[in-house]
Amino acid sequence: MELLKKRRLRGVVCDANYQLNVEDALACAEHEVVVFVDAARGLRKPFSFTKLRPAPAITAMSHALGPAAVLAIAAGLYGKTPDARLLAVRGRRFSIGEGLSAEAERDLALAMKFLTDFLKGVRP
Amino acid sequence: MGRKIIIEPVTRVEGHGKVTIRLDDNGKVIQSRFHIVEFRGFERFVQGRPYWEAPVLVQRLCGICPVSHHLAAAKAMDVIVGAGPGKLTATAEKMRRLMHYGQILQSHALHFFHLSSPDFLLGMDADPAVRNIIGVAALDKGLAVQAILLRKFGQEVILATAGKKIHGTGAVPGGINKNLSLEERDRFLKGAAPLNIDQMIEWSRAAVELFKDYQRKNKDVVDGFAEFPSNHLSLVRKDGALDFYHGVLRAVDAEGRKVLDDVDYQDYLEHIGEETRSWSYMKFPYLRALGKTNGWYRVGPLARLNTCDYIPSPLAQKEFETYKAYTDGKPNNMSLHSHWARLIELLHAAEVIKDLLLDKDLQGTKLVRKGKRVPEGIGLIEAPRGTLFHHYRVNDNDQITMANLIVSTTNNNEPMNRAVHWVAENALSGKPEITEGMLNRVEVAIRAYDPCLSCATHAVGRMPLEVSLVDARGRILQRKIR
Repeated sequence: MELLKKRRLRGVVCDANYQLNVEDALACAEHEVVVFVDAARGLRKPFSFTKLRPAPAITAMSHALGPAAVLAIAAGLYGKTPDARLLAVRGRRFSIGEGLSAEAERDLALAMKFLTDFLKGVRP
Repeated sequence: MGRKIIIEPVTRVEGHGKVTIRLDDNGKVIQSRFHIVEFRGFERFVQGRPYWEAPVLVQRLCGICPVSHHLAAAKAMDVIVGAGPGKLTATAEKMRRLMHYGQILQSHALHFFHLSSPDFLLGMDADPAVRNIIGVAALDKGLAVQAILLRKFGQEVILATAGKKIHGTGAVPGGINKNLSLEERDRFLKGAAPLNIDQMIEWSRAAVELFKDYQRKNKDVVDGFAEFPSNHLSLVRKDGALDFYHGVLRAVDAEGRKVLDDVDYQDYLEHIGEETRSWSYMKFPYLRALGKTNGWYRVGPLARLNTCDYIPSPLAQKEFETYKAYTDGKPNNMSLHSHWARLIELLHAAEVIKDLLLDKDLQGTKLVRKGKRVPEGIGLIEAPRGTLFHHYRVNDNDQITMANLIVSTTNNNEPMNRAVHWVAENALSGKPEITEGMLNRVEVAIRAYDPCLSCATHAVGRMPLEVSLVDARGRILQRKIR
């Protein structure tokens, strides 16, 4: 996120949370295009980029929400459905520790390049 | 043939666990348990790390209450650097209080509106597909939007005081690393509607009224649900006032008799024991004075309003008087009244935030104090879910050699088990068919305590929970997995 902020892309707002929550629906409702980025388990390639749609129903909830649930709340409360994508970056180890492995750093760099190109192609 | 119910995961709680209800051949409950099924030792992870890193590191314990861990660890480190209770600068203590009361505001709002109100406003038997915040919005869109903005406001207060949304660095051993700018203060005090503190106070008042109105109309549902006597523990201010940030330990029994009073929490080990049981990774704390069998206690909003003598803010105090009058001044042992207590605390937090914002000490520049370094420190705080203990030992190389955390959810372990058992006995036992609504009542009982199971196991992240119906031979007959 800090890397992306440093690129100062026009019209791009960056935000980072411990976990998605209800107020993120407000942020989604205020933007045309939303890209959720997170590490992913079990991915066989460096990253994946998929279209997201609001969840048809929220049946499983904790304090945290998934991206589709956030989009559903944005649609339900604010009547907004942004063009939403999920950029999943391959994670290697998820146990308690610090820093990224060299492999994760490489995957992240590839994902960042892709994301930057994508965002540059979005007209504000 | 006997049966066994497993609910996994319990939804709308932080982290996950597992509930198992065992029935005999006639469908009568013979055993119910709320287990924690995963453990990753966070206390081991911090060993060897420099002590000043602890307030930042421990925030990884949980995505929903990182501020509680941040502040509890910082308070323990204050002791270690010789700046324990009463020694912080006014600016440092008040900035931390602002951070903490901002957290209480956002957490209580999130819990009530997002996680629990669907059960009340839509009904415990409502279709689970709509028993959520979107269902609430369909019923009352304005209410759902208020919930989001209360949470957002609290998060903004945390950002302004902790410095960052993730891994905040605001609290440091011996103080704080920033004050509140006039610009930040004015944004919270006079920000464009609705994001200003007066609106938050107004919405908090309305939230208390909402619950009171619901309770008046549904006493049969609210009052008796998972009601059982218990002891209650919390910090209180030295004069007996409600205080989330600092105070002395007080415990009362189910009749209101003081079991502990005016106890310095640096001595907590003399008063609190922890029992382990083979079927759960979560420990069972108890008051040593009453022993393992009778010494278990509740923490959190219900307990806090049972232990304190008064609330030091006018609107919340007025509500507190009404709340106390309902049980003739005796401790309230009704699990669903936790929500009533939580909303009174929400109002109190909003009032305190306003008072703090008007305090010029927040613009002070004396941020850190240090004194004689000692090898051990204990920090306590009233987290949204209840009393949170952080205990550390540090060697001469400034490395942490021991950490012991007793989190709110662990303190509430036995009460949550009792609440689950109450539902099993009263809603499930002897019934020919177990419906989704019946199983949801198990979750309603657990949710009243707003458990954070990630914290309770000191794990990070994923931890599924189930409720299982098991027969007398141990075979799973019904399992609920979200």
